[in-house]
Amino acid sequence: MLINEGAMRRNRTVRRLGQVGLWLNPLVAYFFLWAPILVLVLFSFNSSRSVASFTGFTLKWYGNILNNVMGAESAFSTELMLNAFRNSLFVGSIATAISTVLGTMIALAMARGKFPGKGLIDGLLFLPVVIPEITQAISLAIFFKVVFDWFALISGERVFPGFHTIIAAHVTFNISYVAIVARARLADMNPRLEEAANDLGANPWRAFWRVTFPLILPGVISGALLAFTLSLDDFVITFFTSGVGTTTLPVFVYGLLKLTVTPEVNAVSTIMMVLSTLLIGISLAIQGRSASRV
Amino acid sequence: MTTFDVELVDIVKEFESRGSTVRAVDRVSVEIADGEFFALLGPSGCGKTTTLRLIAGFEQPTSGRVLIRGRAMEGIPAYHRPVNTVFQDYALFPHLTVEQNIMFGLQMEGVDKKAARKRANEALEQVRLPGVGARKPHQLSGGQQQRVALARALVKQPAVLLLDEPLGALDLKLRKNMQFELKALQRDVGITFIYVTHDQEEAITMADRIAVMNEGLMLQVGTPKEIYEHPETHFVADFIGETNFIPGMLLERSGDGYGRVKLANGPVIRAQLSHALGSAARAVTVAIRPERIGIAAASASLDSDEDGLTVLEAVLAGSQYIGTDTRYRLALGEGVELVARLQNVSNRDSAAYEVGQPVKVYWGESSATVLDQ
Repeated sequence: MLINEGAMRRNRTVRRLGQVGLWLNPLVAYFFLWAPILVLVLFSFNSSRSVASFTGFTLKWYGNILNNVMGAESAFSTELMLNAFRNSLFVGSIATAISTVLGTMIALAMARGKFPGKGLIDGLLFLPVVIPEITQAISLAIFFKVVFDWFALISGERVFPGFHTIIAAHVTFNISYVAIVARARLADMNPRLEEAANDLGANPWRAFWRVTFPLILPGVISGALLAFTLSLDDFVITFFTSGVGTTTLPVFVYGLLKLTVTPEVNAVSTIMMVLSTLLIGISLAIQGRSASRV
Repeated sequence: MTTFDVELVDIVKEFESRGSTVRAVDRVSVEIADGEFFALLGPSGCGKTTTLRLIAGFEQPTSGRVLIRGRAMEGIPAYHRPVNTVFQDYALFPHLTVEQNIMFGLQMEGVDKKAARKRANEALEQVRLPGVGARKPHQLSGGQQQRVALARALVKQPAVLLLDEPLGALDLKLRKNMQFELKALQRDVGITFIYVTHDQEEAITMADRIAVMNEGLMLQVGTPKEIYEHPETHFVADFIGETNFIPGMLLERSGDGYGRVKLANGPVIRAQLSHALGSAARAVTVAIRPERIGIAAASASLDSDEDGLTVLEAVLAGSQYIGTDTRYRLALGEGVELVARLQNVSNRDSAAYEVGQPVKVYWGESSATVLDQ
């Protein structure tokens, strides 16, 4: 019996160790996840310009970015920043509008339609989500160049990259996200509801606008918010497809970094992060709240 | 000009499933009269719901024709057919109120909002659910949702109302109540009901006529009494109620619709021949309902030739008390067993016979039906 008791004690120790490990695991994971962002946010409120130590709380840097002041020597242009922000909103809105319509249509075709090659197209939908952003960026840059070269050859007219290329590029990756979110919503929807609408005398067009669309609207809105956020945050693809005078906010911040990391950059980044988090939060809330009602 | 509300003419519906063709509805032809309560009865996967969906217009037949009020429905989409459906899961629009749900179909017809609202509330009263118009469907109980679904379909005043297991999701007691109500409602509005169910009791108690389906085939169409008392196939006899089956050989057919059958355990009996019995059939099955079998003491003098009575020797193999009745298992020898069900009229009945005791079993000749094997 002694042997058994020893084994039991050993078992208990192992189990306790396991419990501690299990408890520690998420803490460590979350630390890795959040520590860099925490540092960024923290130092955007640091009264000292140095990141060596936190010397006190200040909103000075947030004030600076609105008052054309930045760094010790260089003048920061609030006007340029606001202009970049406007560009971001412009690109984001147009790209979101286009990708929401197209993405929703794809989702509908995938959920309700029957056509050959559906499985393949379904798989391809996820491609923009999984392929490396840099690959997509370079491929888009090359694609635009080829198209513009051809266009020049045919029409003699030279087209240059600009907002149209950025928007087109953003639409390509946004479509997937909208389609995936809208499709999840459609999958939750009882297909009998559309039949019921038909049965009660609604043709497919009216059935869509009176029944299907109101029911998938939360999915469409949250897909659109997601697309808008991704558009707003995107750097790599924008960088590779932008032209002259199309600087978006992330590209602008990157430009600031080339000089030096300053608390003002931290402040701008923090504002961007809060904005994105807010949008994603709203998107998730819409999805969550309406999920129980279908 | 036809007097039928719905006619199905040689309907076949095939589905492609993983490369192979499945025939869900197989050469179904039936005529349903105006104002009839018609039940499509069968186990799941028998094709009854597909048949309903073909009438509704959600599916198109592979071949054959659907006629509603004499008009061919080919190429006519669901939203132009004079039929409405009560779905199994009700399919109420979750984003609309009860009133808006019922108004939906009227508004699609172009009825103005005020008139539609008035008719919606009348429909709610018709299904005995007034005052819930402002609520959302998810705030109602299952039984209430069922009534709303009914009101939503009835308010359109269709030629035919299609009901797909409408009571399937309700608990037993509510289901019983709704059976009465549905039947009364159908009599009131006079609309043809086509009612899909797998519950034989539901079909028997509600329907004017029943069509029993299995594996896409419509096996038998008739009144509940015809279906129950004169099943034409083994499947129908087995599916509707409880039935004893005794294998045997058909020796001769007499002109009066009866025949002499040598049972597997030896004796030769007279029994009614089913209409559907193959003309060359030799190996057959004799079907007898348990409640048609009587039991008597072995010493009782029963004359088998008198009054067309069939009397056989048996041994009581077991009994089971089931409240209203007692079920007796009777061994006829050679492995042939019968179940008889006798009502417990008095307290003594359930203990009238001892297990192992030799007894006589008897039934009227017209109670036994000869079916294909």
